[in-house]
Amino acid sequence: MLNRPLSLAQIPLIVIGLVLCLFPIFWLVMTAIKPPIDWNASPAIWIPSEPTLINFRTLFNPDAIRAYGVGGVSQAATRAVMGSILASISATFLAVGLGLISAIGLSRYSRTNWATPLIILSGRMFPPAAIAVPFVIIFSLTNLMDTYPGLIAVYTAVTLPFSTWMLKSFVDDLPREMEEAAMLDGKSRLMAHLTVTVPLIRGGIFSTTMLVFILNWSEYMFAQVLSNTELATIPVQLAKYVTATAGTLYGVQAALAVLAMAPLIVGGYFIQGHLARGLTFGAIKK
Amino acid sequence: MSVDTRGAAQEIAASYDSGKIDRRTFLRRMGLIGVGVAVANAVSLSPLGAVKAWAAISGPEDRAWALAKEKAAAATKKSLTLLIPTGSIGNMTPYVDKWKNELGVSLEFIEEPDEVVHTKGMQEAVAKTGRYDVMMPTAMSYPDWFDSGLIYDLTDWTEKYQPDLFNKEWGVVFPASHHAQLYNGRVVGLLCDGDQITLLCRKDYLEKPDKAKAFADQYGYPLDAPKTWKEYYNLAKFMHDPKNNFYGTLEYRSRYYCKWMFMQRLASKGSLWFDQDMNPTFNSPKGLEVLEDMLAVNEFLHPDAFSFTWSSNYNAYGRGEGFLNIVWPSGFKYSKAPSTGPATTGKIKATVMPADTLPDGTNLYAGMFCWGYGFAISKYSANPDLSYAYAQWMTSPTISADAIPYLGGYSDPYRVNHMLAPTERLIETYTTDYLKILYNNIVNTVPDFCLPGGFEYQDALDKEVHACLTGDKKPKDALDDAAQQFDRITRRKGKEKVRKSWFALTENLAEPIKIATGRGNWKL
Repeated sequence: MLNRPLSLAQIPLIVIGLVLCLFPIFWLVMTAIKPPIDWNASPAIWIPSEPTLINFRTLFNPDAIRAYGVGGVSQAATRAVMGSILASISATFLAVGLGLISAIGLSRYSRTNWATPLIILSGRMFPPAAIAVPFVIIFSLTNLMDTYPGLIAVYTAVTLPFSTWMLKSFVDDLPREMEEAAMLDGKSRLMAHLTVTVPLIRGGIFSTTMLVFILNWSEYMFAQVLSNTELATIPVQLAKYVTATAGTLYGVQAALAVLAMAPLIVGGYFIQGHLARGLTFGAIKK
Repeated sequence: MSVDTRGAAQEIAASYDSGKIDRRTFLRRMGLIGVGVAVANAVSLSPLGAVKAWAAISGPEDRAWALAKEKAAAATKKSLTLLIPTGSIGNMTPYVDKWKNELGVSLEFIEEPDEVVHTKGMQEAVAKTGRYDVMMPTAMSYPDWFDSGLIYDLTDWTEKYQPDLFNKEWGVVFPASHHAQLYNGRVVGLLCDGDQITLLCRKDYLEKPDKAKAFADQYGYPLDAPKTWKEYYNLAKFMHDPKNNFYGTLEYRSRYYCKWMFMQRLASKGSLWFDQDMNPTFNSPKGLEVLEDMLAVNEFLHPDAFSFTWSSNYNAYGRGEGFLNIVWPSGFKYSKAPSTGPATTGKIKATVMPADTLPDGTNLYAGMFCWGYGFAISKYSANPDLSYAYAQWMTSPTISADAIPYLGGYSDPYRVNHMLAPTERLIETYTTDYLKILYNNIVNTVPDFCLPGGFEYQDALDKEVHACLTGDKKPKDALDDAAQQFDRITRRKGKEKVRKSWFALTENLAEPIKIATGRGNWKL
């Protein structure tokens, strides 16, 4: 790795880049701790003089914000947070698990080079809105409408091509000879993959998991279309913070968005080593 | 069933509920009442008897309540599910306990963002889940929902249970009574929100002697709220003071909202959206004048006008950042309340929408009835009668007058009694003067695109008007492009079908508008 100091020309570019990346997050966090009167203030209030946690409290106790004269929030975000956790983790686990099996199969045992992967990818070749209504009809007939199993199935179906293709590229880059060596040592094919392939591409698995989780965690359209009362996720809940007395509740929305970012930041921090490795895996070809 | 008989039945039911009588006694007594009613009906009633019997109950709310009691007692599913726009629940929650305690019916609310309610309805038309009993869209949704078989024709119900929709003293104000509740002449929804736009201006600025003198010197007439669009322009120009963060007007220029500003001005010129052959009328000299007028006003706009939503607009006005504003009735409430209108409380003068001067020299006052939620009943509801009873009860003259002032809901006055014989709470919320202005404005309103494909027409117009106002297109190009898209939508929806609806929609207009637009001479 290069370890030379930054030039004077590079520093401002990096600062501009950081500002562009971090400003929305700064603004989000500041809005989350502003009292209602400051949400729309003009000129804008950058840092609230009287920061408050009222927006966070409103997420779990909708009446809390009445103290500021804002009424009409009727739903706590608890169910949406739990729903997002359940749907995103389950669907990610399924998509990456099934994707890994598919990836190894396609990379090592597929007789065709292009047809099967392309068919798998075809699921991502049209806008998701095009399949939303068919899902509604099918789920209505199968009583999966407004249920978590239904949403998890959709998320899995939608992200599976993505995880399959991504993981396949990692498996492709791993020399077959390593698995064959394990088999020569007496391991079955399955055990060779479990003890050689999977550990060696774990950086790729982590980065795929993270990206699939982000896709599921932030998904809005399917959750909106397939939900009524039982099913709730954070993106759907975010759109519901509108009241007749105060319009859009920007502070409460920001609080929920900050909360929604937390697992991604924490998760990203813990697996950053794997992420970097996963994203650059195979960058240098033999 | 007469009122007395019903009362007796209620007493028996109450005794049974409280455990005073056993099931056998309950059934025997109810049976006796049933036989009595059957005999009475057979002997005395004409085919209209049932209608007369229900009409004999004193008011729409009593008739609705009686129906609700009857249907709640018979219902196996003791709940109603309502699909409502997020932010509207505040007008309905105060009655949840009453329905639960007195009827045993739980009310479950599914809140969806405003822009999603129509889509959810269309989705239900396909999926037929029966998840919703009552749905609360804007009047724009009714045609597509009705044509897709999603909602009931309520006409038979309204004839039988008489919600007094068209009563001169407490009915829904004409012509909104027709525009926002009827589709092809049939009642398909019950209005619960009188959304019309009115004009606000800053009274404190009008009362400044130096301003009054300067204005009179400059324009040759006294400083007052504008009566015409010309006066509106003059005021916006005169009061515009950007150096002090005070702008002439906060009129919308943002997507989704700007078409209503255009339509309002076009209606003031005596033009509707189509002629009798479904040709768009706005790509005309009148339409061009409207766009030119709007472009001229751009100079005196609040800088956020191009991104305003209703709430950011109300907030900016409440902070005291402008002189004029065009608002829904809720905007007046915002400006009046110290929490949302810290700079405008007690400083607002409201008026009907400005007129335009017609070629014959008369001033034509027109208003826009736009948005306006109502209750529709899902065809897939397990309890359609009970759902209808809820809708009639909530929108009845007295219950609606009680519901509207509650915080946390979108409902605004829509019945005659709300505006001309208001309750104390309505006066406290809106003031007597503003309620009269609402009445004077609503009687001249023209309808939104409450037609098959209504949202498509709206969006096409909005997109092109916005493109012109932002300088992306020249006025003529924008209007011609919108007209071209209108023709396509009409062709796709079926010209005769849309034309029939257009005739029915425009059949009921205030007389001056009928004359100015020539609607009275149209032939189907």
